[in-house]
Amino acid sequence: MTLTLPVRVPELSFATMTSTSDPIDQTAAEAEVEATIEEALDDETAAEDAPATPDAAELRRLFEEQALPFLDQLYAAGLRMTRNPSDAQDLVQETFVKAFSAFRQYQQGTNLKAWLYRILTNTFINNYRKNQRNPYQGTIDDLEDWQLGGAESATTSAISRSAEAEAIDHLPDSAVKDALQAVPEDFRMAVYFADVEGFSYQEIADIMKTPVGTVMSRLHRGRRLLRELLTDYAQERGIQVGATSRRRSTKKEEVPE
Amino acid sequence: MSDCGCEKAKRELEEYLHHELSGMDAADVREHMETCADCAGEHRVGLVLTEVVKRACRDTAPEELRAQVLVKLRELQAH
Repeated sequence: MTLTLPVRVPELSFATMTSTSDPIDQTAAEAEVEATIEEALDDETAAEDAPATPDAAELRRLFEEQALPFLDQLYAAGLRMTRNPSDAQDLVQETFVKAFSAFRQYQQGTNLKAWLYRILTNTFINNYRKNQRNPYQGTIDDLEDWQLGGAESATTSAISRSAEAEAIDHLPDSAVKDALQAVPEDFRMAVYFADVEGFSYQEIADIMKTPVGTVMSRLHRGRRLLRELLTDYAQERGIQVGATSRRRSTKKEEVPE
Repeated sequence: MSDCGCEKAKRELEEYLHHELSGMDAADVREHMETCADCAGEHRVGLVLTEVVKRACRDTAPEELRAQVLVKLRELQAH
């Protein structure tokens, strides 16, 4: 089944951003990310020269024991980033390779999950984002709300809010995933990190290398876009939103799950 | 305070949802929502939004990926 969510949001953004994107800033941003990765891997170069010590196996066992439980989560995050299973697999594999290579530098007892997510995010930016036709890093946050489409729904009444909550709650996972994919990447990932992974704003700021204020703005805008997409979707499927009586149309039978 | 507190609550609802508010601020928001159906409704939508995203994103990595990662790690260890 193909969902037809309104995709006006990213399309409009891309068009605007292409014209405002600064290639110099872009390169600088990439170089910075590259430097961070190298920084993380730096000390490892020395370690690589040393012959494999008996504790190499021990280190691998420790890494597997601690990091491998995050495989499913990292894969799910990778899916949200790359938006396709094959790229997500490559991304996660690369992430584990990098994480293991830098594992001697990882401080036991600190936040391993956040550390892994940071490597995942860096790897994604280095390997994938620069290949995209419309790289918009550093510009999406500067867009005004009207450029992103939609507007704050200030007129919604309390009664319709409960109908809205109900409608959103009954949407199939596929609709939620499609809506997420339609949200611009930086906003989407902020939402993902906060709502799915439960990272704190500070942790997200560290992972995305951006101030906490930007995290809050990305989250707010991402969640607002998502809400609009989902509410629109529910309405299109004949689920009443914004009225006291809810009526499910017969179309509901076609909704998977 | 003379105003109804909606403005403050609305502004802080998302932080409240993500447990980012200090104890006192969180208590203010909670207290406000007890008497304000509007903000309580807004919070409910926020909670549902988080819930459906969480629900939709429960993906499991393919078995082959786990196997590939394990092989890679053994290769790296041998170096």
